[in-house]
Parts: sequence; C-alpha cells; structure tokens
Amino acid sequence: MRNGKALLSKMQTVACTICLFAWCAGPVGAAEQQQADTSTPAATVMFPVSGDKKVAKGSMQPVVFNHALHEKAVTNCGTCHHTGEPQKCSDCHTLTGSDAGKGVTLEQAMHKRTIAPAKKGVTPSSCVSCHEKVISSKQECMGCHNIVTPKYDEAWCNVCHNAKVTPEQLAKGSTGAMSNEENRAIADKAVKAQKPNETPGFFVPTKVTIDGLADEFKPVLFNHRRHVASVVENIKNDKLANAFHYKKEVICSTCHHNSPLSMTPPKCGSCHKAKVDPSNPQVPSLKAAYHLQCMGCHDGMKVARPANTDCSTCHKVAEK
Amino acid sequence: MNRRKFLTLMGTAGVVSAIATPKAAEAGVHTFPYYDNGYGVLHDLTRCIGCRQCEVGCNKVNNLPAPKVPFSDLTVTHKKRRTTTTEWTVVNRYDLGDKEYVFRKQQCFHCNDPACASACFTKCYIKNPDGSVSYNDKQCVGCRYCMVACPFYIPTFEYEEAFDPIIQKCTFCKSRLEKGQLPGCVEHCTMDALTFGRRKDLINIAHKRIAANPDKYLDYIYGENDCGGTAWMVIMPKPKGMAQCAPGNASEAHDAMKKVGLDTGLGNQPMGELTYGALGTVPMIISFWPLLLGGAYGITKRREAIAKANQEAAVAEERQKTIDAAVACIEKEQGKEAAEQHRAAMTAALEAQDSASQHGGEDK
Repeated sequence: MRNGKALLSKMQTVACTICLFAWCAGPVGAAEQQQADTSTPAATVMFPVSGDKKVAKGSMQPVVFNHALHEKAVTNCGTCHHTGEPQKCSDCHTLTGSDAGKGVTLEQAMHKRTIAPAKKGVTPSSCVSCHEKVISSKQECMGCHNIVTPKYDEAWCNVCHNAKVTPEQLAKGSTGAMSNEENRAIADKAVKAQKPNETPGFFVPTKVTIDGLADEFKPVLFNHRRHVASVVENIKNDKLANAFHYKKEVICSTCHHNSPLSMTPPKCGSCHKAKVDPSNPQVPSLKAAYHLQCMGCHDGMKVARPANTDCSTCHKVAEK
Repeated sequence: MNRRKFLTLMGTAGVVSAIATPKAAEAGVHTFPYYDNGYGVLHDLTRCIGCRQCEVGCNKVNNLPAPKVPFSDLTVTHKKRRTTTTEWTVVNRYDLGDKEYVFRKQQCFHCNDPACASACFTKCYIKNPDGSVSYNDKQCVGCRYCMVACPFYIPTFEYEEAFDPIIQKCTFCKSRLEKGQLPGCVEHCTMDALTFGRRKDLINIAHKRIAANPDKYLDYIYGENDCGGTAWMVIMPKPKGMAQCAPGNASEAHDAMKKVGLDTGLGNQPMGELTYGALGTVPMIISFWPLLLGGAYGITKRREAIAKANQEAAVAEERQKTIDAAVACIEKEQGKEAAEQHRAAMTAALEAQDSASQHGGEDK
C-alpha cells in the first residue's frame, strides 16, 4: 500500500487534533478575552443602529465582534477604521445610509464583496471582503475555495450573527441607549459560550473506487480519507476556518456540494450523468465533474504533480 | 464626349442613386436573419487544460487524416498554431504573465452575421437556424474572399490540391447536431470547458459563472456582441494584477483579451455591415448603366447631327456664293438672259453631282 505509514501518522495526527480541541475548548475561549495591547474593547456587540435612533424592526441577531482577535490579525487600525478616527462603524454607516457614510448602508459596509479601490486614501474593506482576501492569500484554503463559493445561507449568516440577545436588549442597543458595560457583558458571555467546531475524522470512508466511467482507463482508487485528513490538518490552527466551518460536514461540502450537509452525501453520479443533459447544460458531465473538482483543488493548493494532462498518474491505462 | 466627362457623369449618377433610391438606404442596415434559438458553445478558459482531446474528437468524427505530430504531444500548443485544411480546431497556450498560462481552442466562431458569407459572391456560405455557418463547395470559384473577410482567420484553402481546391473549416458538426449528437470536440472535452447549448442560455450561464466568481473571471463574454455576436463564445480568467473591467466593456477588456489572442476592438456590428452601405449602391449603378450609356450615345449622336447640319448649311452657302459670283460675271459680259441660263445649268449640275455622290458613292 502506497504511503501506508504516512496515512497512519496522518490519522493519528487527526485523532490527536480532535481530542486536543475538545480538551482546549474552555481555555481557548477564555484566552481570547484578554485585553489587547491598546485600550480597545475585547469584544463588543455590534447593534444595528439606525440614523433616526428608532428600533430596527425584524432585525436579525446582532454580531458579537471579537475586537481583540481581529486587532491582532490586521496590520493597523485603519484597515477597518478607514477614516483614521477610532469611531464606531454605525456613526456614519447607518441602516438606511447617510451623507457622512457616502450613502453606504451598514449592511453594505459589513458585507460588500467587491469594493472599488479608492482614488485617494485608504480603500475600506468590509468584513466579508477582508475575510475573502485572507482566504485567497492562503494556499491551504485555496484548494477548496478555488472550486467552491460559500452558500451565503442562514447558517453562514449565523456564524457572525450569534449574539442571542433578548428583544429588549436589541431595542435598547439599536437606539443607542445601552451602556458600554452592559454591551461588553453580553459580548463576553457570548464569546465564552463559543465552542470549537468538530472536524471530519474517522467517520469518512477510507478508499473510494471510482469506476463509473472506466473504459479507456482502469478504475481510479481514490484515497478519500487521506485527502480529508490533509485538508483538516492544514487548517486546524486557522481561527477563521474554524469559525466558518461551523459543522464538520461543511468541509465535506466542498466536493459533495449542492446537497444538504450530511455525513452520507449522495454520490457524484446521482446528479452528474455520463453525458450532459441538453436541458441543463450548466451541469458538467460526470467525467468533467471529477476532473473539475480534483484539478480545481490541486490547482488552488498549487499541487505541482501530477500535471493536469498527465492522465496515467491517476488512471492506470487499461490493457487491451 | 471625352473620358473625363464620362467618368464625372458616372460618379454623379452613382452618388445620386445611392442617396435617392430607397433600396440603397435599406442596404445600410442589411443583416442576415438572426436566429434567436440557435445553438452555440461556451468556451471557459479557466477550465481548459490544453489536453488536445477536442482536436482528437474533431479528427475522429470528421474522418480527417492523422496528424503529423501525434495528439499526445502537448508541446505543440506552445506555438501559435492556426487551423488548417485538416485540423479544423487547434488549442494554443497563452501566457497571461506571472507564469500563468491558459489554453484557448480555436475554430470557426459561427458568427450571427458571418463576414465570410457577406464576402462570398457565389453564396457558398449559409447561416443556418441551428446556429452553424456552413460552407458548400458546389459553387465555390476559389476566390478566397472569405479568408480575407473572416476576422478570426478561420477558413483555410486547399493550396495543395491541384484540381478543384476548396475551403475547409469547422462545420459545427452540423450532421451530428441534426442527429441529436454533440459536436465532436464538445463530446471529447474532459473538463467540460466547452458547454453546448442554446446561445441565449449560454450567455446566462456565462453571466452566472462570472457573478459567482467575480475575482476569478474577467467580466466579459467574448462573442456576446463582438462582430454582431457569435455562436461560439469565450470567457477567460482575469489575469492577476489586472483590474476588473466594467461588465461587458470592450475597451477595458481589450488588454486582457489580447493576451489570449482575441480582439475586442472588432466592434459590435457585423463585419459585413461595414461594406453593405457602399456595396449596396453597386446594383444601383449597374441598373443605371443602360440609361447612362444610352444617354451618352444619344448626346454624341445629336452633336454629330448638328455638326453635319451646320456643315451642310455652310457648304450650301459657299456654293450659292460661288454661283452668284459666276452668274454676276456672265451677266456683265453676256447679258441677263444668258446669266439665268447658266445659273440653272450650274445648279442642275451640282444637284446631279450631289445625288451621284450619295447613291453611287461606292463606285468612286
């Protein structure tokens, strides 16, 4: 068996990772509450403050922003506080937009994915655009993120919108009536309640034989567990990854995409047929689906070998 | 009428006919019928790995001769190859800079309003409702105007054929489409870098792909509007370090598209439209020819007639003067009666001479 030993050691590593995570859960959360170098808040609840100080109706849960954590991740305060003043985002970017915020609403200021470069001064970044920049700069992330775009569904929103405040607290916060102490007390509680997410480990199948199309080539023996373990191992210390991969199935959903999150996802062939359906031309054929996933991830991770056109490394040529 | 006058007259008539006749005005907006439901293929350069399987597929389904270099040799893609009479599609590698390479397959783009067809004076090219542009060699005279007209340098001529050389180009596997099969290249593509479908659906698919990955793709679909729209379209990755272009902005996408050998500067109007206006007046000029030449002939004839009449009048006057002078001399010497007799005799003699020269002129 090729790389048998390596696999065993990888599996051990993964197992250790999972155990360590479970053991460290408490202390990690608490550690993040330590005060940063400057006199900035450790964590704060970001309420949707409207310009006219009215209660934001139908608002989703506010965001607990771990200021200390993010402060360490950026080079200077101006990354977020792009005006140069240490003011609140909602001072200018109100729910409906204001002249001070150049009409950019609070929602846009936090979520806009593409931001045109500023002609002069600092180009602002939103939470989402900054996170995307971080992802695209990391080789270990760009494997999956080269072929998959987050679904931007409710679960994705809830990763940040997790303050779990009562309607009374929300009303108080969004009208600006809440004191800083009260705000930080809620934030501290929420941060401490956070638990590290699980990662897929031993539950995934070991080897998968891909033989649906074997014709010119022999079936492919795909080392499924080794691929999963490698991905999990590479990102285990990444806080951003751990926050957004909120369930272990999220990692599975890169390849097992477009189906509900599950540890027993449908096979590729249940959607991708041997030939493209003419009424649904955007769905690749099974062969192309495999190639696009495998090569897309390898390209993103800058896996040099095998070359995309070197068929016989993955496929053994069938004897005739 | 001299040559200069004739040409001036002709030119004036041409311009007048171009301006005045409604048919010439119609010629300015002439387009081939636009088939809304036609098929097309979307080529996604982010997916293409340059495996040359499309070339294999094309070769196989069209029964083309085996290539000199086997299809397994992928280094040929490093050269900027063009389609040939036996290779209707070729894949070339393009350098986006920063060690980033992409591959682009070349073949006939099957324009909505093909320039080759507009240039062909024997109507060998047809735009079919299924989206393909097909060529029929039956009437081809081998003028190669289509090769000059094509903005993508696609039609190729069988120079090696001594007898009856014809044009060869991608057929969109029309015979396979009619049987409900995919074109050979699309079927053989291992990455689905070629997506076959209705052209309007493909434009939607392309827009969706770009919207899902705004940083990955250049926001430009080559062939959506270029040259009046083409059935085969291309989307490419945004070269690293290059700014994203405004959606569908040809001039902003120009530099990036140029890296993969595509020119966005060809304009959004069909190639043929550049010449329809001018060429549309040609039939007008042709229909004016009989009138013009007839008129010119008439003018010449009339002038000749006037000149002849003038000449005759002058001759008759001279004659009368001579007779008058002679008669005056005779009258002085021989008297009035003899003079009248001589005048009558002279007139009769001259008339006799005239009639003799008219009727029996040949005998002289």
